[in-house]
Amino acid sequence: MGTMDTIPPQTQVNGISINGNLDKGPYFIDGCDTIAKLFLQRCKALGERISHREKEYGIWLSYSWSDYLEHARLIGHGLVALGLKRGEAVSILSEDNKEWVYTDLAVQCVGGISSGIYTTDSASQLAYLVNDSDSRFLFVENDEQLDKFLSVREDMPGLTKVIVFDREGLHDYHDDQVIFIEELYDIGRVHHKKHPELFEHEIAKSTPEDISILVYTSGTTGPPKGAMISNRNIMYSISVGAYTLPALATDEQVCFLPLCHILERFISVLSPIASKSTVNFAESPETVFDNVREVSPHIFTAVPRVWEKIYSRISIMVGDATSLGRWAYSRALAAGTARAECLETDTPVPTMLEARYRFWDAVVLKNIRRMIGMDRLRRGTTGAAPISPDLLRWFKAIGIDLFEGYGMSETAGIISLNMFGKNKIGSVGLVVPGGQVRIGDGGEIQYKAGNVFEGYWKKPEKTQEAMSEDGWLKTGDVGHVDSSGYVHITGRLKDIIITAGGKNITPAEIENKLKFSPYISDAVIIGDKRKFLSCLIMIDQENVEKFAQDKRVPFGDFASLCATAEVQELIGDIVRDVNDEFARVEQIKAFRLIDVLLTAEDDELTATMKLKRSFVEKKHKALIEEMYA
Amino acid sequence: MSDNTRTPLLQVDNLESFYGPIMAIRGVSLKVKEGQIVTVLGANGAGKTTLLKTISGVMDPEKGTVALQGDEIQGSAPDAVVHRGVVHVPEGREIFPILTVEENLKMGAYTRSDHDAIAADMDLVYTYFPILRERRQQEAGTLSGGQQQMLAIGRGLMAKPRIMLLDEPSLGLSPILVKEIFTIISRLNREQNVTMMLVEQNAKVALDVAHYGYVMELGRIVMSGEAEKLRQSKDIQEFYLGAQQDTQRGQRRWKQRKTWR
Repeated sequence: MGTMDTIPPQTQVNGISINGNLDKGPYFIDGCDTIAKLFLQRCKALGERISHREKEYGIWLSYSWSDYLEHARLIGHGLVALGLKRGEAVSILSEDNKEWVYTDLAVQCVGGISSGIYTTDSASQLAYLVNDSDSRFLFVENDEQLDKFLSVREDMPGLTKVIVFDREGLHDYHDDQVIFIEELYDIGRVHHKKHPELFEHEIAKSTPEDISILVYTSGTTGPPKGAMISNRNIMYSISVGAYTLPALATDEQVCFLPLCHILERFISVLSPIASKSTVNFAESPETVFDNVREVSPHIFTAVPRVWEKIYSRISIMVGDATSLGRWAYSRALAAGTARAECLETDTPVPTMLEARYRFWDAVVLKNIRRMIGMDRLRRGTTGAAPISPDLLRWFKAIGIDLFEGYGMSETAGIISLNMFGKNKIGSVGLVVPGGQVRIGDGGEIQYKAGNVFEGYWKKPEKTQEAMSEDGWLKTGDVGHVDSSGYVHITGRLKDIIITAGGKNITPAEIENKLKFSPYISDAVIIGDKRKFLSCLIMIDQENVEKFAQDKRVPFGDFASLCATAEVQELIGDIVRDVNDEFARVEQIKAFRLIDVLLTAEDDELTATMKLKRSFVEKKHKALIEEMYA
Repeated sequence: MSDNTRTPLLQVDNLESFYGPIMAIRGVSLKVKEGQIVTVLGANGAGKTTLLKTISGVMDPEKGTVALQGDEIQGSAPDAVVHRGVVHVPEGREIFPILTVEENLKMGAYTRSDHDAIAADMDLVYTYFPILRERRQQEAGTLSGGQQQMLAIGRGLMAKPRIMLLDEPSLGLSPILVKEIFTIISRLNREQNVTMMLVEQNAKVALDVAHYGYVMELGRIVMSGEAEKLRQSKDIQEFYLGAQQDTQRGQRRWKQRKTWR
């Protein structure tokens, strides 16, 4: 397997050789059919070129592809020395950093399966994920995560060793079950001396069918399930990326979303191995905007919430500008919007308009892009949650190409994508090359391609539920495919609300309209088996505080801010405006604000700060009942 | 929020203050009712001192209002604010070191002309702080830190204030002295009905004497409530009262994320 004569016909795309036809596998990238093989080849070829950067004490430090390989090799040897077997899972509980990635690749290179755990997960969730994946090794970031492990260690009898990345605060800590990453490197070094060829041999053993990563999907119903992603899945997704929205070897990118999530994993770990781009690890999710400014990336992938934040930052900045500044911005935006409209509808841009846009672009828009660190940006991408079409248009107007894509853990991240020249705002784009989409029962989108996952870890009955009898993946999303082949999503199948009047409503459509307001960060529509629709709203703290300050509305803490008549009225007006766009039965008759400031640790929020419908409905039951009383 | 009918003695709404381009207070609203001790807690740089300075007229706010029984006083000159009965006892005491204790106290009454009453008040100050009577002829600069703090408070009382703004009276004092001074603060409030706004980093003593409290962080109020409620808050206990949950390791360096609930 993997010999030259079995490789299907290849095409060169941006200097990378991939399958000319993605309809069927095996999928090769530069002659490699697994991520481990490609990783080894890249590291050896690129040597001292910069692979990634991480900030330490305020300074960006660079690490080469050789560093990458050396660290992965030592961790890999270390794990083998400690008894890791091929096909066994290893869990990683850490914020994004280079060690996360080293461990990820090390595990895959020696034939293990790497599984990420969110740092915001509770101790009991940690125990569940470690046990469910049968991990014998757990990597933790620091003392905080170590304490999380210690509080539930009795519940994880299968765990052999815990490896800590950061020794800070643990210098005189001793525990037979716990070692530090430096010690693992030492163990690896000794083992490597004894078995100099082992790492390469293990890599050579890898096959496209091997499971390389487990991605746990947050179970809104039942416990989380580990989606098994194989080498084949990954190589297919990477090939698709190279055809559609390629990263280039010269690209800088920023890694900041949790790496346990398939989106960031694909964009910042898997795809750069093929594209040779440089990954910069943000210091923390809170500093991402500063880090983006410092890096000035060429490509940037984020979830809608981040794009919304950028939009509201600029809106607020403009609001505080001088009247001349505000005037210039409104003219620039008008020109940008008019031009974007022509481009969207495929009508030629009038020469005068183009000239006007060029002028305002040079005078205003370019500065805005520089202020948010996007002056070098070739394109942005958004996924993992629906984004407002108006927001995409706004970004186009200020000169940023932002493309929406669609995918899930079960498809190694990608199903469909918008791209240059093939972009339809409001859709999630065209199904990827080699993939097929069809609409099943209840309008459910079903998908078939080389990146459809290998099933849920140890849960064959769940796998069966996720697949149709003829082998298509049931995405659980409702939508349609238009005449030009663009996929449109209207909501989640299980979220569909059937009101007491018997009317079917997809809440996502209404929620997305609400979320476009800079004052609303998320919303959940309620109304299943109810007389009318109501809504729970999470306000955007920063922007609403600003509003209150500008309007001189006194407030103390967050709860009192939510309670002020002016804020209630502000949100009420937004709800009313959104209602105007919908039919009567789809209108929100009552709403309440969630008056606690939620953090990612709260059950109601996902790690990407989305509200979880089921938890919100449970936790704020009293508030909901109040609206129907 | 039931007895909102009476106008609070001091009401601050949407206050914003800047040091040059730096916004030190980003929209603070709070109330102090007559006869209450209200504390404002917060770490270094939270904006507590700036808040007091803006109330007492040492700094002018960029936005927002400060109302004393309904009359707006923001932006007034500091002496005009003192005339209206707002007395600021600044951080680090700032007494007049080469004047005697008695002269310092007289300086506190310089806005007044009712000589008999001044003498009576001086007596009152000496009743609460007997050590000052003993040292009345001593140069204030030669007093100990605790005595200087007493003198600063006593000097403030001499203006017959409607409200006293106390900026970190516990700063740099030994635990015993802190206890002594806070006992007196509490007595002054109870017996003389002096309304006080107390800015503190020492949350424990402040919450012991205060009726109501606010927590400031980065120029904003992040939490407010009855002193008892604040004492019960997990975040206050961890970040201000030094309580730590035990871990398996028996020590902990990392901090819980604040939620201010």
